Amino acid sequence: MTDKTIGVAVDGVSKRYAHRVKGEIYAARNVVLDVRPGEFLTLLGPSGCGKTTTLRMIAGFEIPDEGRILFGGNDVTGLPANRRNIGFVFQNYALFPHLSVFENVAYGLRVRGQAQAAIARDVGEVLALVGLGGYEQQFSGQLSGGEQQRVALARAIVIRPRVLLFDEPLSNLDAKLRVQMRQEIRDLQRRLAITTVYVTHDQEEAMAVSDRIAVMNEGSVVQEGSAEDLYHRPATEFVARFVGRVNLVPGRIAEVAGRGGRVAALGSVLGVRLLPAGVAAGDRVRLVLRPEAIAFADPGSDPAAPAATVTARTFLGEKVEYVVDCGGESLQVVGYNAGAAFVAGAAVALVVADDVVTVLPESA
Amino acid sequence: MAAPADGNGKDPAVTAAVVVLWLLLALFVVYPLAMLFARMLTDHGTFTFAGIATVLTDRHQIRAFWNSLWLGLLVGVIGTAFGFLFAFTAARGKLPRRVLGILDASVLLPLVSPPFTTAIAMIFSFGPRGLITYDLLGMKGVTVYGLTSTLFSEVLTYFPIAYLTLRPILAAIDSNIEGMALSLGASRWRVFRTVTLPLAVPGLANAFLLLFAASLADFATPLILAGNNFPVLPTQAYLQITGMFDLRGGAALSFVLLVPALAVFLLQRYWVSRRFYVTITGKGAGQTPFDSVSAGARTVLVGACVAVALVIVYFYALLLYASLVVALGANHAFTLQHYRVIFTEGLKAIRDTLIIAGLAMPLGGLYGILLGYLVTKKTFFGRRTMELVSMVNYALPGTIVGIAYLIAFNDPPLELTGTALIIVACYIFRYGPTGIRATVALLQQIDRSLEEASQGLGAGSGTTFRRITLPLILPAFFAGLGVVFIRSMTAISATIFLVSISWTLITVKILENITELSLGPAAAFSVLVVAIVFVVIAAIGRLLRVFRAPGAMPMTSLLGG
Ligand SMILES: Nc1ncnc2c1ncn2[C@@H]1O[C@H](COP(=O)(O)OP(=O)(O)OP(=O)(O)O)[C@@H](O)[C@H]1O
Ligand SMILES: [Mg+2]
Repeated sequence: MTDKTIGVAVDGVSKRYAHRVKGEIYAARNVVLDVRPGEFLTLLGPSGCGKTTTLRMIAGFEIPDEGRILFGGNDVTGLPANRRNIGFVFQNYALFPHLSVFENVAYGLRVRGQAQAAIARDVGEVLALVGLGGYEQQFSGQLSGGEQQRVALARAIVIRPRVLLFDEPLSNLDAKLRVQMRQEIRDLQRRLAITTVYVTHDQEEAMAVSDRIAVMNEGSVVQEGSAEDLYHRPATEFVARFVGRVNLVPGRIAEVAGRGGRVAALGSVLGVRLLPAGVAAGDRVRLVLRPEAIAFADPGSDPAAPAATVTARTFLGEKVEYVVDCGGESLQVVGYNAGAAFVAGAAVALVVADDVVTVLPESA
Repeated sequence: MAAPADGNGKDPAVTAAVVVLWLLLALFVVYPLAMLFARMLTDHGTFTFAGIATVLTDRHQIRAFWNSLWLGLLVGVIGTAFGFLFAFTAARGKLPRRVLGILDASVLLPLVSPPFTTAIAMIFSFGPRGLITYDLLGMKGVTVYGLTSTLFSEVLTYFPIAYLTLRPILAAIDSNIEGMALSLGASRWRVFRTVTLPLAVPGLANAFLLLFAASLADFATPLILAGNNFPVLPTQAYLQITGMFDLRGGAALSFVLLVPALAVFLLQRYWVSRRFYVTITGKGAGQTPFDSVSAGARTVLVGACVAVALVIVYFYALLLYASLVVALGANHAFTLQHYRVIFTEGLKAIRDTLIIAGLAMPLGGLYGILLGYLVTKKTFFGRRTMELVSMVNYALPGTIVGIAYLIAFNDPPLELTGTALIIVACYIFRYGPTGIRATVALLQQIDRSLEEASQGLGAGSGTTFRRITLPLILPAFFAGLGVVFIRSMTAISATIFLVSISWTLITVKILENITELSLGPAAAFSVLVVAIVFVVIAAIGRLLRVFRAPGAMPMTSLLGG
């Protein structure tokens, strides 16, 4: 048991399952991940995309059909979970119902044959750390969802695992608690500096906790990067749609100039800072326009700007959501100053800054 | 014990356990049944239908067949009605806990008693010198024997099965549904007819089949109470063998009994019980926020339950009284004479029974938990078949099992008759399945993530089994243990064929006493058995509480099916 922080590498790992209709399916297909020491990496993706399967292979609960898992450079692919020194937090917490909170947390230490005094000290410390001091003698049936979650967390970290693994740990909690707990998990992970892989299908949660996010779809990692990377520079339509709200607008390259250029779209021509590599004038593309990247101006203030009509307006306090019609294209727009002028039916000009547009090639 | 928690069957310990279990099942389940068929269909080595033909053409036996079905039908219907009355009152009557506890305890009595208990009490009450017929009503020359008293006694003995089956079902029907219907303006009676009753139908069907099977298999009650004019199959088979030494005829008769018994078992297990598991989803409603029963109806319901409970209590009080007086009906002077008799002349039977039950109990408990664990958690060839085969001796009427054992183990190479081993084996494979079912049910509730959590924390598969899985299925072990013990103390239908001079049983002694008309010692024996069983149930209840495992089912619910 070393306290040295290590990285985790998932090296071209695949896992197939028998399927009654399709014969065989890839739950994970050639997954490549490189988790740096101390990093918080989140696997994000829709249901059934293979997040859990990948995480379970990292844990050692499943053996990959192909590829390798490396902990700190050592191949652990064939090593069973009990010899990997991991902390795993399950979606359903998996607290041992016949053991008290104390004994649940102490379990991993007892398995390691630690002395009673050391166990009492470590368990006490870690329970205090998760805010459950005084709960030692309770049983899991007597705890709230949030408390069970904390016990599960305490049980996972008390053994000082080299890698901490979470499978949708917050999905059974209510919205408010979810926000609070994810913050606590993040703080704790920072403090302990344990390399962490976290699974969720909630993009906001992923953004809130992660250093880096790997978006998965149909068994493969489709894009990796910081939350901002994924949001502002999605590589595919799938990522653009999955991470945040988006308007996808068809367009055609009007001009390539250096790395940027101009794109004909929305009945107008928009300047773009960055074009995908290898596109040429005349190519069909799609523009990724985030709702907050579009601003309104008075019609006619800029004759070159796309003209649109407000079709719906929803006041939400801090922000106002609009739907506008722009030459038959329906767009979502979010505004943060409640421009009272822009009511349903109003004519507006759309302002899109050249650095907030992402251009996707037709095929992505 | 097999330890690893990974699903493959390549572990040598698992393989060994599977092989041993298959050998045991082959020896004590498959082989005896095969021998039963062989005996029925052969005559000195040649194949013949003569044995079965004799039975099927004998008018007396045909009557026994129809009598058995008729009795089973009546017991099923009336017993289910009684069970429903109790279950409904318990679930909807808002009774104080204490009253409920008393009702439960009195209902439990017949389930844990030796088989003749109500029958003896019936004779004491309604016989030629019965307390009620003779002393109270002054009737002379009445006969207690026949359909009516058999039916009465069997209903009292078996309706608790229906109660235990129906109570959780009624409790699980969310009374908000009833409240909803009430709020829509339906009368209480209408709500009961159109909502509660229809929702309980699968449960009622299940209870009916269980009671039908119990009555079909019941050997002891008709032996005492049915008399000559109402023959039924299990007693006919017994008389054929013990009275006429006709093993082949007995085998043929038990085969005739096997057909409806198996049909009912398969129907119950694969159709009805499956249906209501999907109907009633586990959201325990618990409270009764709506008064689904009016005050008047409630009084009637509670009154009816109390009346039935009083009859049961009266029977047992009578039994106790009879064990303490010289001769009930003739000389009511207090005496401990009968107890002296059972602890001197009867001591061997008591000792033998306790030894056999004491041996069968741990072995049966172990067998149940081991087989239940293997068929739920391991994958190996023939897993489903093993589970099914393990249920056979439990599903068949005891008479059939007893005759099959008698035929199979009477001659070399497997000459086991006369030993304690054969009785112990009979009990293990006949009553161990309760533990199997309890283990399977518990294991299915245990999410695999619990074992993975343990593994993730560094525990090997052996440690995981010992520290996580085993404690969680321990309640099933205790329950299985308890049921094997109780049944070993109270059963007779199978083992009456297996007792010998060397090894005998209390229940067989009770039967002997009754036939010799020494009812005092019979009553004393019965009281003793009930007392021992109650002590064991209380002890197991304590153990279950000490191990406070989740989903621990009450002991009593296991006695039901
Ligand atoms: N043991 C198994 N046997 C067969 N197929 C499986 C098994 N486990 C997973 N799968 C399949 O593999 C695919 C990926 O499953 P996985 O559990 O990894 O998804 P997930 O991304 O965690 O989804 P969710 O967000 O719903 O938990 C799914 O299509 C699933 O049906
Ligand atoms: Mg998952």
